[in-house]
Amino acid sequence: MSNARLAFVDLTGGYGGAIVVRGISGNVRAGEVLCVLGRNGVGKSTLVKLLMGHLRCWSGEILHTGTAIQHLECSARSRYGISYCPQERTVFDDLSVRNNLTLMGDNRDLGRFEAYFARFPILKRRLKQQAGSLSGGEKKILSFSRALSEGKGVTLLDEPSEGVQWENILHMAALINDSKRAGASMVIVEQNLEFAETIADRYLVLDQGRVVLEGTRRDLNREDLLSHLHV
Amino acid sequence: MQDLIAAQTINLIYAVTLLAVLSLGLAVIFGLLGVLNLAHGEFIMLGAYCAVVVRQNGWPFLTAIPLAILVCGSIGYVIEVLIMRRLYRRTFDTLVATWGLSLLLRKSAEAVFGLTYRSVETPLPGTIDVFGVPYPAYRLAVIGLGATAIFVLAIWYGNSRTGLRIRAMTGNPELAQSLGLSVKRLAAGTFVTGTCLAALSGVMIAPLVPVFPYMGLDYVLRTFFVIVVGGLGSVIGLVYGALAIGGLDSAVSAFSNGTYGYLSVIVLAIAFLWLRPRGIHVRG
Repeated sequence: MSNARLAFVDLTGGYGGAIVVRGISGNVRAGEVLCVLGRNGVGKSTLVKLLMGHLRCWSGEILHTGTAIQHLECSARSRYGISYCPQERTVFDDLSVRNNLTLMGDNRDLGRFEAYFARFPILKRRLKQQAGSLSGGEKKILSFSRALSEGKGVTLLDEPSEGVQWENILHMAALINDSKRAGASMVIVEQNLEFAETIADRYLVLDQGRVVLEGTRRDLNREDLLSHLHV
Repeated sequence: MQDLIAAQTINLIYAVTLLAVLSLGLAVIFGLLGVLNLAHGEFIMLGAYCAVVVRQNGWPFLTAIPLAILVCGSIGYVIEVLIMRRLYRRTFDTLVATWGLSLLLRKSAEAVFGLTYRSVETPLPGTIDVFGVPYPAYRLAVIGLGATAIFVLAIWYGNSRTGLRIRAMTGNPELAQSLGLSVKRLAAGTFVTGTCLAALSGVMIAPLVPVFPYMGLDYVLRTFFVIVVGGLGSVIGLVYGALAIGGLDSAVSAFSNGTYGYLSVIVLAIAFLWLRPRGIHVRG
């Protein structure tokens, strides 16, 4: 764990008085993808929101290359080197596709998105269009491309494949594997096991706010994973 | 007859521009932060007093501009950090807080300057002929500067990086934060911008109206009507609102008198609140 890029130890948290995440630990190293699996409502999105800082941790620690960051607010964590794609409200609806991509960049140059445009030509065609007018799947693709292109050390993706066509899911997988080879660390929440199998190095399977199964892709067999994904 | 029409037309343009400029600060704070700043009129009043102070000391009129930005910008910043920051999304509480602030500012002005009416000598005396009608030069300058200011602000908001980030913040604050935008800093900047715009419009009207501690009351009402009728979130809406309110007021006042003008404005605002609460121009 000492060489983890992002580690979380015994995290708890939830909404209002309702506890959702009940003591989850895990970590992800450089060049590694940790897939968080589980049924709806078991705390996957809550875990990612705790990591990003949208929800305050009730207890536990979050370490970024060994430094505790759980007390930092969301924008400070982002500057520390964490990107995030939410599950819902994935883009800035009022802004054009182009401005969604370049909002935080030092310039409005689109050169750094060429790899994404090659995979998702629809983004290039719709640059001037308001992001709010895109379909749900297209918004996911835009949000995904925006986050990965930030090139930060850690990327948190909350169900990136939801509503996206299989062909484009495969493009996402290819881009994730490219970033991984470049040393990126990712925590990816997924429901789609076929997609997860193409990108995951390790799995963290949740049920009722706790880790019920964890291990590398080789360690865990498909039937065990599936038994935790379906009711 | 032609002269009369020309004079009334310029008067109308003048009234609309003036109202739009007076409303800018309120529109920025209401539209972007969701706070109806009931102390908006008092920031206009403070701006006008900056012009009074500058003139009393014999300094050039234009030095009132940096003074107003300094005074109202600092007050705005302190208020944002100490009070407003904790109240965003609590609409009723922001009303009470800014109402309290308006009382405080009004009474402070009364304590410092007294209840007497002050006037500020116009920096541009004389008249200029427009379509054969002599028209006060300063009023023409107000039209020109006001229209330019609104235009520049609209272009800036639509295209600048900061304008885009403000739109990102208001549209999707969670996502904006996870991209690294400091919503706190943007909100403070927006609030201060709103108070400074109010103050600058106060400097601008100082040579045109009597300056006294209670002058803000009328402005906060009129500018609120502009926003109600025009709709939030765009400069176009603001211009429509100023056209409707300023235009109706001037037109009715020209044919009868000011009281009926004001009455018609109130009726229009009530009708909008009742039947079309989102205003003429709905964003998106």
